[in-house]
Amino acid sequence: MKLQNIKYLVVGAVLAGFVSCNDDDDLFIPAPEEQMEIEELNFEGTFAQEDQMGRAAINTVLNGDSATKNSFNLTIPSEMVANFQQGFLDRAVALHAAFGVEYENNVLGLDATTLTTVLAADVLQVAPDAPTTYIDGDGNVLTGRSLTDDVVDVSLILLFGGTNGDRFNGQDLDNDGVADLPILVTDNVPNTGENPSTTFPYLEGPH
Amino acid sequence: MKTVSKILIAGALVAGVGALIAADHLDAPAVGGTTADITDYFAFESAENGDNTVFVANVQSSLAPAGNDATFDENVLIEFNIDNTGDLVEDRVIQAIARDGRMYFFGPYAPATTGLNSTIDASQMIGSVAITTDGNAITETTEGGIKMFAGPREDPFFFDFGTFNAVIGGDAENNGPNGGFQTAENAVDTFDGTNVLSIVVELPNALIGPTVAHPAGFDVQVWNTWVEAKRQQ
Repeated sequence: MKLQNIKYLVVGAVLAGFVSCNDDDDLFIPAPEEQMEIEELNFEGTFAQEDQMGRAAINTVLNGDSATKNSFNLTIPSEMVANFQQGFLDRAVALHAAFGVEYENNVLGLDATTLTTVLAADVLQVAPDAPTTYIDGDGNVLTGRSLTDDVVDVSLILLFGGTNGDRFNGQDLDNDGVADLPILVTDNVPNTGENPSTTFPYLEGPH
Repeated sequence: MKTVSKILIAGALVAGVGALIAADHLDAPAVGGTTADITDYFAFESAENGDNTVFVANVQSSLAPAGNDATFDENVLIEFNIDNTGDLVEDRVIQAIARDGRMYFFGPYAPATTGLNSTIDASQMIGSVAITTDGNAITETTEGGIKMFAGPREDPFFFDFGTFNAVIGGDAENNGPNGGFQTAENAVDTFDGTNVLSIVVELPNALIGPTVAHPAGFDVQVWNTWVEAKRQQ
Protein backbone atom coordinates (compact mmCIF):
# COMPACT_ATOMS: atom_id res chain seq x y z
CA MET A 1 0.00 0.00 0.00
CA LYS A 2 1.97 2.97 -1.30
CA LEU A 3 -0.09 5.54 0.56
CA GLN A 4 1.24 4.25 3.84
CA ASN A 5 4.76 5.10 2.80
CA ILE A 6 6.03 8.39 4.04
CA LYS A 7 7.28 10.52 1.22
CA TYR A 8 9.96 12.56 2.82
CA LEU A 9 10.95 15.78 1.16
CA VAL A 10 14.68 16.12 1.69
CA VAL A 11 14.74 19.28 -0.43
CA GLY A 12 11.80 20.79 1.42
CA ALA A 13 13.87 23.33 3.28
CA VAL A 14 15.67 24.32 0.10
CA LEU A 15 12.39 24.82 -1.73
CA ALA A 16 10.96 26.89 1.12
CA GLY A 17 14.04 29.06 0.95
CA PHE A 18 13.63 29.64 -2.78
CA VAL A 19 9.95 30.52 -2.45
CA SER A 20 10.53 33.07 0.25
CA CYS A 21 13.47 34.63 -1.60
CA ASN A 22 11.57 34.90 -4.83
CA ASP A 23 8.52 36.74 -3.65
CA ASP A 24 8.52 38.95 -6.74
CA ASP A 25 9.19 36.17 -9.14
CA ASP A 26 7.38 33.47 -11.02
CA LEU A 27 6.37 30.18 -9.48
CA PHE A 28 9.53 28.28 -8.62
CA ILE A 29 9.87 24.96 -10.39
CA PRO A 30 12.50 22.58 -9.04
CA ALA A 31 15.08 21.27 -11.46
CA PRO A 32 14.76 17.58 -12.36
CA GLU A 33 17.85 16.58 -10.37
CA GLU A 34 16.35 18.14 -7.23
CA GLN A 35 13.15 16.20 -7.71
CA MET A 36 15.24 13.05 -7.77
CA GLU A 37 16.37 13.77 -4.22
CA ILE A 38 12.88 13.14 -2.91
CA GLU A 39 13.39 10.07 -0.81
CA GLU A 40 10.88 7.47 0.14
CA LEU A 41 11.09 6.01 3.63
CA ASN A 42 9.39 2.75 4.39
CA PHE A 43 8.40 1.87 7.95
CA GLU A 44 6.04 -0.96 7.04
CA GLY A 45 6.18 -4.50 8.32
CA THR A 46 6.10 -6.44 11.55
CA PHE A 47 8.86 -6.29 14.12
CA ALA A 48 9.25 -9.29 16.44
CA GLN A 49 10.81 -9.11 19.89
CA GLU A 50 14.37 -10.34 20.45
CA ASP A 51 15.46 -8.58 23.64
CA GLN A 52 13.75 -6.92 26.60
CA MET A 53 15.00 -5.05 29.66
CA GLY A 54 13.59 -3.25 32.65
CA ARG A 55 16.03 -3.38 35.54
CA ALA A 56 19.74 -4.00 35.25
CA ALA A 57 21.22 -7.48 35.65
CA ILE A 58 17.96 -9.26 36.43
CA ASN A 59 18.07 -11.75 33.58
CA THR A 60 21.81 -12.24 34.04
CA VAL A 61 21.74 -12.95 37.76
CA LEU A 62 18.39 -14.55 38.51
CA ASN A 63 17.84 -16.77 35.50
CA GLY A 64 20.14 -19.75 35.73
CA ASP A 65 20.50 -21.48 32.39
CA SER A 66 20.71 -20.28 28.79
CA ALA A 67 17.29 -21.54 27.72
CA THR A 68 15.64 -19.68 30.60
CA LYS A 69 17.56 -16.48 29.81
CA ASN A 70 16.45 -16.68 26.17
CA SER A 71 12.87 -17.38 27.16
CA PHE A 72 12.81 -14.44 29.59
CA ASN A 73 13.66 -12.02 26.76
CA LEU A 74 10.65 -13.26 24.79
CA THR A 75 8.14 -12.97 27.63
CA ILE A 76 5.90 -9.93 28.02
CA PRO A 77 6.11 -8.29 31.48
CA SER A 78 2.51 -9.14 32.42
CA GLU A 79 3.39 -12.85 32.16
CA MET A 80 6.81 -12.74 33.81
CA VAL A 81 5.83 -13.29 37.45
CA ALA A 82 3.74 -16.35 36.62
CA ASN A 83 6.53 -17.88 34.58
CA PHE A 84 9.72 -16.85 36.36
CA GLN A 85 9.11 -15.94 40.03
CA GLN A 86 9.54 -19.51 41.27
CA GLY A 87 12.78 -19.86 39.33
CA PHE A 88 14.06 -16.57 40.77
CA LEU A 89 13.22 -17.78 44.27
CA ASP A 90 14.96 -21.13 43.71
CA ARG A 91 17.98 -19.28 42.34
CA ALA A 92 18.10 -16.91 45.33
CA VAL A 93 17.92 -19.90 47.69
CA ALA A 94 20.65 -21.73 45.76
CA LEU A 95 22.96 -18.70 45.74
CA HIS A 96 22.66 -18.50 49.52
CA ALA A 97 23.05 -22.26 49.95
CA ALA A 98 26.36 -22.04 48.08
CA PHE A 99 27.60 -20.01 51.05
CA GLY A 100 25.92 -22.26 53.61
CA VAL A 101 23.24 -19.77 54.67
CA GLU A 102 19.60 -18.89 54.10
CA TYR A 103 18.09 -15.66 52.79
CA GLU A 104 17.36 -13.04 55.44
CA ASN A 105 14.68 -10.35 54.98
CA ASN A 106 16.37 -7.36 53.35
CA VAL A 107 16.70 -3.65 54.15
CA LEU A 108 13.26 -3.03 52.66
CA GLY A 109 11.78 -5.70 54.91
CA LEU A 110 11.00 -7.91 51.92
CA ASP A 111 11.02 -11.67 52.36
CA ALA A 112 12.41 -13.85 49.58
CA THR A 113 9.04 -14.52 47.96
CA THR A 114 8.08 -10.83 47.91
CA LEU A 115 11.50 -9.72 46.63
CA THR A 116 11.55 -12.24 43.80
CA THR A 117 7.96 -11.33 42.91
CA VAL A 118 8.94 -7.65 42.62
CA LEU A 119 12.03 -8.49 40.58
CA ALA A 120 10.37 -11.06 38.30
CA ALA A 121 8.29 -8.34 36.64
CA ASP A 122 11.28 -6.88 34.83
CA VAL A 123 10.12 -3.30 34.40
CA LEU A 124 11.60 -0.05 35.64
CA GLN A 125 9.31 2.13 37.72
CA VAL A 126 9.78 5.83 36.94
CA ALA A 127 8.38 8.52 39.25
CA PRO A 128 7.88 11.87 37.50
CA ASP A 129 7.48 13.78 40.77
CA ALA A 130 10.26 12.27 42.89
CA PRO A 131 14.07 12.24 42.65
CA THR A 132 15.37 9.50 40.35
CA THR A 133 17.17 6.75 42.21
CA TYR A 134 17.38 3.04 42.86
CA ILE A 135 17.71 3.83 46.57
CA ASP A 136 19.01 7.15 47.87
CA GLY A 137 18.78 6.68 51.63
CA ASP A 138 16.25 9.52 51.85
CA GLY A 139 13.22 7.30 51.49
CA ASN A 140 13.17 7.22 47.70
CA VAL A 141 13.22 3.66 46.37
CA LEU A 142 13.06 2.38 42.79
CA THR A 143 11.93 5.65 41.21
CA GLY A 144 13.93 5.19 38.02
CA ARG A 145 17.57 4.72 37.13
CA SER A 146 20.06 7.53 36.72
CA LEU A 147 23.35 7.20 34.82
CA THR A 148 25.33 6.94 38.06
CA ASP A 149 23.04 4.77 40.19
CA ASP A 150 25.07 1.80 41.48
CA VAL A 151 22.44 -0.70 40.44
CA VAL A 152 24.79 -3.64 40.95
CA ASP A 153 25.43 -2.82 44.59
CA VAL A 154 21.77 -2.07 45.29
CA SER A 155 20.73 -5.36 43.71
CA LEU A 156 23.36 -7.25 45.71
CA ILE A 157 22.29 -5.52 48.94
CA LEU A 158 18.65 -6.41 48.33
CA LEU A 159 19.59 -10.02 47.65
CA PHE A 160 22.41 -10.71 50.13
CA GLY A 161 22.44 -7.74 52.51
CA GLY A 162 19.90 -8.98 55.02
CA THR A 163 18.09 -6.67 57.41
CA ASN A 164 21.00 -4.27 57.82
CA GLY A 165 22.21 -4.38 54.22
CA ASP A 166 25.75 -5.41 55.17
CA ARG A 167 25.28 -9.05 56.03
CA PHE A 168 28.16 -10.23 53.81
CA ASN A 169 30.75 -7.51 53.52
CA GLY A 170 34.01 -9.31 54.23
CA GLN A 171 33.68 -9.11 58.02
CA ASP A 172 36.53 -10.27 60.22
CA LEU A 173 34.54 -12.10 62.89
CA ASP A 174 37.40 -13.26 65.13
CA ASN A 175 39.53 -10.14 64.84
CA ASP A 176 42.54 -11.97 63.47
CA GLY A 177 42.98 -9.47 60.65
CA VAL A 178 41.63 -11.87 58.02
CA ALA A 179 38.13 -11.64 56.54
CA ASP A 180 35.90 -14.54 57.51
CA LEU A 181 32.84 -13.69 55.41
CA PRO A 182 32.75 -13.17 51.64
CA ILE A 183 31.96 -9.78 50.09
CA LEU A 184 28.53 -10.19 48.49
CA VAL A 185 26.90 -6.77 48.97
CA THR A 186 29.19 -4.82 46.61
CA ASP A 187 31.40 -5.53 43.62
CA ASN A 188 33.63 -2.73 44.93
CA VAL A 189 33.46 -0.84 41.62
CA PRO A 190 32.26 2.72 42.43
CA ASN A 191 30.62 5.15 40.03
CA THR A 192 33.52 7.59 40.32
CA GLY A 193 34.69 6.79 36.79
CA GLU A 194 31.38 7.91 35.29
CA ASN A 195 30.96 11.60 34.54
CA PRO A 196 27.69 12.23 32.73
CA SER A 197 26.91 15.73 31.47
CA THR A 198 24.17 17.94 32.89
CA THR A 199 22.94 18.67 29.36
CA PHE A 200 21.26 16.53 26.73
CA PRO A 201 22.14 13.78 25.73
CA TYR A 202 23.88 13.42 29.14
CA LEU A 203 25.96 10.32 28.36
CA GLU A 204 29.71 10.85 27.97
CA GLY A 205 31.25 10.91 24.50
CA PRO A 206 32.71 7.68 23.15
CA HIS A 207 36.26 6.48 23.69
CA MET B 1 48.40 -31.60 17.52
CA LYS B 2 47.97 -28.29 15.75
CA THR B 3 44.31 -29.00 15.14
CA VAL B 4 43.76 -29.91 18.75
CA SER B 5 45.31 -26.73 20.08
CA LYS B 6 43.34 -24.62 17.61
CA ILE B 7 40.13 -26.21 18.81
CA LEU B 8 41.14 -25.62 22.40
CA ILE B 9 41.92 -21.97 21.70
CA ALA B 10 38.66 -21.50 19.84
CA GLY B 11 36.82 -23.10 22.73
CA ALA B 12 38.48 -20.77 25.20
CA LEU B 13 37.52 -17.76 23.07
CA VAL B 14 33.93 -18.89 22.84
CA ALA B 15 33.84 -19.42 26.59
CA GLY B 16 35.28 -15.95 27.07
CA VAL B 17 32.64 -14.30 24.89
CA GLY B 18 29.91 -16.30 26.56
CA ALA B 19 31.00 -15.02 29.93
CA LEU B 20 30.50 -11.38 28.92
CA ILE B 21 26.95 -10.91 30.09
CA ALA B 22 25.98 -8.07 32.41
CA ALA B 23 23.44 -5.33 33.10
CA ASP B 24 21.72 -6.66 30.05
CA HIS B 25 24.89 -6.78 27.96
CA LEU B 26 24.82 -10.05 26.02
CA ASP B 27 22.34 -11.25 28.62
CA ALA B 28 21.21 -14.35 26.78
CA PRO B 29 22.83 -16.51 24.09
CA ALA B 30 20.11 -15.99 21.47
CA VAL B 31 20.53 -12.22 21.35
CA GLY B 32 23.99 -11.60 22.82
CA GLY B 33 26.37 -9.99 20.36
CA THR B 34 23.67 -9.29 17.77
CA THR B 35 22.47 -5.89 16.56
CA ALA B 36 19.34 -6.35 18.69
CA ASP B 37 21.25 -6.77 21.96
CA ILE B 38 20.07 -4.23 24.51
CA THR B 39 22.99 -3.56 26.85
CA ASP B 40 21.33 -1.14 29.21
CA TYR B 41 18.27 0.94 29.95
CA PHE B 42 17.96 4.16 31.96
CA ALA B 43 15.03 6.45 32.70
CA PHE B 44 15.50 9.54 34.83
CA GLU B 45 14.39 13.09 35.54
CA SER B 46 15.95 15.58 33.14
CA ALA B 47 18.74 17.70 34.59
CA GLU B 48 17.77 20.46 32.15
CA ASN B 49 14.04 20.51 32.91
CA GLY B 50 12.43 18.88 35.94
CA ASP B 51 9.15 18.49 34.02
CA ASN B 52 10.85 16.21 31.49
CA THR B 53 11.86 12.54 31.65
CA VAL B 54 14.81 11.06 29.75
CA PHE B 55 14.79 7.55 28.29
CA VAL B 56 18.07 5.90 27.26
CA ALA B 57 18.45 2.61 25.41
CA ASN B 58 21.98 1.34 24.85
CA VAL B 59 22.63 -1.43 22.36
CA GLN B 60 25.62 -3.34 21.00
CA SER B 61 28.42 -3.18 23.56
CA SER B 62 31.84 -2.61 22.02
CA LEU B 63 32.88 -5.70 24.00
CA ALA B 64 30.86 -7.65 21.44
CA PRO B 65 32.39 -8.85 18.16
CA ALA B 66 31.47 -5.75 16.13
CA GLY B 67 33.45 -3.57 18.53
CA ASN B 68 33.64 0.16 17.87
CA ASP B 69 32.64 -0.33 14.22
CA ALA B 70 29.08 -1.20 15.25
CA THR B 71 26.24 0.69 13.55
CA PHE B 72 22.50 0.80 14.10
CA ASP B 73 20.68 -1.97 12.22
CA GLU B 74 17.87 -0.57 10.06
CA ASN B 75 15.94 -3.81 10.65
CA VAL B 76 15.89 -3.38 14.44
CA LEU B 77 13.18 -1.29 16.09
CA ILE B 78 13.91 0.07 19.57
CA GLU B 79 10.70 0.52 21.53
CA PHE B 80 10.26 2.21 24.90
CA ASN B 81 7.11 0.87 26.58
CA ILE B 82 5.02 2.80 29.11
CA ASP B 83 2.31 1.26 31.28
CA ASN B 84 -0.03 3.96 32.63
CA THR B 85 -2.52 1.63 34.36
CA GLY B 86 -0.46 -0.88 36.38
CA ASP B 87 -1.30 -4.02 34.41
CA LEU B 88 2.23 -4.34 32.95
CA VAL B 89 0.83 -3.96 29.43
CA GLU B 90 2.09 -1.02 27.37
CA ASP B 91 -0.38 1.84 26.93
CA ARG B 92 2.04 4.05 25.01
CA VAL B 93 5.19 3.39 23.05
CA ILE B 94 8.05 5.56 21.84
CA GLN B 95 9.71 3.97 18.84
CA ALA B 96 13.06 4.63 17.17
CA ILE B 97 14.52 3.15 14.01
CA ALA B 98 17.43 4.10 11.74
CA ARG B 99 17.11 4.98 8.06
CA ASP B 100 20.06 6.09 5.94
CA GLY B 101 22.11 7.84 8.62
CA ARG B 102 19.19 9.29 10.58
CA MET B 103 17.26 8.00 13.58
CA TYR B 104 13.47 8.44 13.27
CA PHE B 105 11.25 8.75 16.35
CA PHE B 106 7.52 7.99 16.74
CA GLY B 107 5.14 8.67 19.62
CA PRO B 108 4.39 8.46 22.40
CA TYR B 109 1.24 6.82 21.07
CA ALA B 110 -1.07 3.93 21.87
CA PRO B 111 0.09 0.99 19.72
CA ALA B 112 -2.40 -0.87 17.54
CA THR B 113 -1.34 -4.12 19.21
CA THR B 114 0.62 -4.85 22.38
CA GLY B 115 3.07 -7.62 23.07
CA LEU B 116 5.84 -9.38 21.20
CA ASN B 117 5.08 -8.04 17.72
CA SER B 118 4.98 -4.37 16.76
CA THR B 119 4.26 -2.19 13.78
CA ILE B 120 5.15 1.43 13.22
CA ASP B 121 2.39 3.97 12.67
CA ALA B 122 4.27 6.32 10.38
CA SER B 123 1.73 9.07 10.97
CA GLN B 124 3.03 9.24 14.56
CA MET B 125 6.50 10.36 13.47
CA ILE B 126 7.69 13.27 15.63
CA GLY B 127 11.01 13.89 13.93
CA SER B 128 14.48 12.59 13.27
CA VAL B 129 18.09 13.32 14.09
CA ALA B 130 21.28 12.67 12.14
CA ILE B 131 23.13 9.74 13.74
CA THR B 132 26.21 11.03 15.52
CA THR B 133 29.43 9.33 14.48
CA ASP B 134 32.01 10.80 16.89
CA GLY B 135 32.32 12.74 20.13
CA ASN B 136 30.37 15.73 18.83
CA ALA B 137 26.77 14.94 19.72
CA ILE B 138 24.18 15.98 17.14
CA THR B 139 20.79 16.63 18.75
CA GLU B 140 17.39 17.82 17.56
CA THR B 141 14.42 19.27 19.44
CA THR B 142 10.89 19.07 18.06
CA GLU B 143 8.37 21.91 18.27
CA GLY B 144 6.70 19.89 21.03
CA GLY B 145 9.86 19.99 23.12
CA ILE B 146 11.04 16.43 22.51
CA LYS B 147 14.83 16.03 22.29
CA MET B 148 16.46 13.29 20.25
CA PHE B 149 19.95 11.76 19.99
CA ALA B 150 21.46 8.61 18.48
CA GLY B 151 25.09 7.56 18.27
CA PRO B 152 28.11 6.09 20.06
CA ARG B 153 28.66 6.98 23.72
CA GLU B 154 30.85 5.78 26.55
CA ASP B 155 29.25 2.77 28.26
CA PRO B 156 27.97 4.17 31.56
CA PHE B 157 27.69 0.74 33.16
CA PHE B 158 30.26 -0.11 35.84
CA PHE B 159 30.66 -3.63 37.19
CA ASP B 160 33.35 -6.18 37.97
CA PHE B 161 31.75 -8.72 35.73
CA GLY B 162 34.73 -11.05 35.61
CA THR B 163 34.59 -11.54 39.35
CA PHE B 164 30.81 -11.91 39.26
CA ASN B 165 31.17 -14.86 36.92
CA ALA B 166 33.83 -16.35 39.21
CA VAL B 167 31.55 -15.94 42.25
CA ILE B 168 28.60 -17.54 40.48
CA GLY B 169 30.80 -20.26 39.01
CA GLY B 170 32.63 -21.04 42.24
CA ASP B 171 35.91 -20.26 40.46
CA ALA B 172 38.28 -20.05 43.42
CA GLU B 173 41.19 -18.81 41.29
CA ASN B 174 39.34 -15.70 40.16
CA ASN B 175 36.84 -14.85 42.86
CA GLY B 176 37.64 -12.81 45.95
CA PRO B 177 38.28 -13.80 49.57
CA ASN B 178 35.96 -16.54 50.86
CA GLY B 179 34.39 -16.92 47.42
CA GLY B 180 32.90 -13.42 47.23
CA PHE B 181 33.72 -10.25 45.30
CA GLN B 182 37.16 -8.66 45.30
CA THR B 183 38.32 -6.11 47.83
CA ALA B 184 38.32 -2.52 46.55
CA GLU B 185 41.99 -2.57 45.55
CA ASN B 186 41.52 -5.67 43.37
CA ALA B 187 38.13 -4.90 41.82
CA VAL B 188 38.06 -4.20 38.06
CA ASP B 189 35.43 -2.31 36.04
CA THR B 190 34.91 -4.67 33.09
CA PHE B 191 33.19 -1.89 31.10
CA ASP B 192 35.86 0.76 31.57
CA GLY B 193 36.99 2.12 28.21
CA THR B 194 34.15 0.55 26.21
CA ASN B 195 31.40 2.11 24.10
CA VAL B 196 27.77 1.46 23.26
CA LEU B 197 25.32 2.80 20.69
CA SER B 198 22.85 5.05 22.50
CA ILE B 199 19.36 6.24 21.69
CA VAL B 200 18.32 9.09 23.97
CA VAL B 201 14.92 10.77 23.95
CA GLU B 202 13.73 13.40 26.42
CA LEU B 203 10.11 14.46 26.59
CA PRO B 204 7.63 16.42 28.71
CA ASN B 205 5.99 14.28 31.40
CA ALA B 206 2.55 15.39 30.18
CA LEU B 207 3.12 13.38 26.98
CA ILE B 208 3.86 10.20 28.96
CA GLY B 209 0.48 10.17 30.64
CA PRO B 210 -1.09 9.02 33.91
CA THR B 211 0.77 7.32 36.76
CA VAL B 212 -0.12 4.50 39.17
CA ALA B 213 0.84 3.65 42.75
CA HIS B 214 4.27 2.00 42.99
CA PRO B 215 3.68 -1.78 42.67
CA ALA B 216 6.25 -2.56 45.38
CA GLY B 217 4.18 -0.59 47.88
CA PHE B 218 6.34 2.51 48.14
CA ASP B 219 4.45 5.77 48.59
CA VAL B 220 5.05 7.28 45.16
CA GLN B 221 3.29 7.49 41.80
CA VAL B 222 5.05 5.87 38.86
CA TRP B 223 4.92 4.63 35.32
CA ASN B 224 6.03 1.05 34.66
CA THR B 225 8.52 1.22 31.79
CA TRP B 226 10.78 -1.11 29.82
CA VAL B 227 12.59 -1.28 26.51
CA GLU B 228 12.43 -3.85 23.72
CA ALA B 229 14.47 -4.58 20.61
CA LYS B 230 12.36 -5.97 17.77
CA ARG B 231 13.56 -7.24 14.40
CA GLN B 232 11.82 -6.76 11.04
CA GLN B 233 10.27 -10.02 9.88
